[in-house]
Amino acid sequence: MATPIHVPRINNNDDEVKILAFDVAVGAKVMAEQIVGQVETDKAVLDVTAPVAGYVLGFVGQPEEVVKVGSVMLWLGETAEEAIPEITSDAVGKTGSHASQITAKAKIMLAQHGLQVEQIPAVDGRITVEVVERYLSQHGLVGTKKGANVAAASIPTETLPEVSGSQVDLTREEKGMAATVAWHRDFAVPGYIEIEYDLAHWADYAKRFQEDKGLLMPPLLPLMASRLVEIAREVPRLNATFVGNKRYEYDSVNLGFTIQAGESLYLAVVRNAQELDQLGFVNSLGDVLRRAAGHNLRESEASGATIGFSSMERWKVTRHIPILPPHTALMVAHAAGQGGRGVLGASYDHRVLNGGQVVAALKKLAQPKKD
Amino acid sequence: MSLNKENIETEIKAKIVEIAAQTGDDASELAVDDIIPATGLIDSTGLLELIAWYEKTYQIPLAQEEINVDNLGSLTRMAEFVLRKKGLL
Repeated sequence: MATPIHVPRINNNDDEVKILAFDVAVGAKVMAEQIVGQVETDKAVLDVTAPVAGYVLGFVGQPEEVVKVGSVMLWLGETAEEAIPEITSDAVGKTGSHASQITAKAKIMLAQHGLQVEQIPAVDGRITVEVVERYLSQHGLVGTKKGANVAAASIPTETLPEVSGSQVDLTREEKGMAATVAWHRDFAVPGYIEIEYDLAHWADYAKRFQEDKGLLMPPLLPLMASRLVEIAREVPRLNATFVGNKRYEYDSVNLGFTIQAGESLYLAVVRNAQELDQLGFVNSLGDVLRRAAGHNLRESEASGATIGFSSMERWKVTRHIPILPPHTALMVAHAAGQGGRGVLGASYDHRVLNGGQVVAALKKLAQPKKD
Repeated sequence: MSLNKENIETEIKAKIVEIAAQTGDDASELAVDDIIPATGLIDSTGLLELIAWYEKTYQIPLAQEEINVDNLGSLTRMAEFVLRKKGLL
């Protein structure tokens, strides 16, 4: 089965990176962990390595092209002749959009023939290899350049609205948010579930904890997030994502916690949270949140979340449905309570979790762990 | 503004008023000895913003264990902590 090599994330504020170069050619045999290319942001350059040994089947993207983090960069096969799988253009990850979905393989075929996607009439809203082959046949362009170092066709820019206006460049944070939302839309199969719970258990517990430790910051949300880490450790599928038709369970629990700092929304990450005790986690989360509030997050603290926690209590919101951060399957939604009762919700990736599993996790989270 | 206790308290209070206003709260009546988290005028996110601003404004990087009620619980304590850290108290 062909294996995709995805565009890696360099830091959380860069949801698009530039392909610098490929170090291998189509048809070449590569070893696991071999460097196959490089990507860069304006901050750093990162080598991209092959996750497994295999043969290079084709490139999706070309040097100097800006691509989405998480999209497919190139394909490896167990043999050099293996077919590139059909995936949608969303997985290919170029910036821009088009009304029809196009598969990666179809996109490569278009590039090989110098065709643009808008030239091809979609079938049922999709442009597949079969659709492209039919077009080629109808236009006397049969045959592909097997083994060529191909690059994907460029995506047409979105049509501007008829109403006059001006285009405003996005900030890094806005780009990050747009990419996160796009991942949620394009890859996850999102569901949302919520339960009602009694606020008093956690409120009392957090108050005692704050007094015992002499903390300035109310520890309620960090303590709930710490409990989520414990639950994720007990139930690994909560701390997972979906890749290549398989559930991918992470080895570490990297807790992402949303924080609004001025106009910027960050997902501040405590890595290896499973190794921390309760106070250690509260302090570690306090550190990263403080840096986020000061717009000084380190790169390692702004990426790599494997599970998420979000609260809109600050805004007196009583219910919200969070967007899943890329490559996560669960984002807990905490909100303001009313009359001693609160709503604890979660967005989840239905490819990884079902509603029952999420409810079970939320019920555990609804009160502190009994010592 | 010179670095004396009253001025620092005034500056910090102005920042708290600004942060509280973000969520529709009025902190203009905050007294120098009020325990800030106990007033409910600013929430945990607001406190984080306050501490981040405090560190930057007074150039005193804080260790996590220093962020407690004894050091930073009120306007007076926050002002005195600045002066202590700078050897002025």
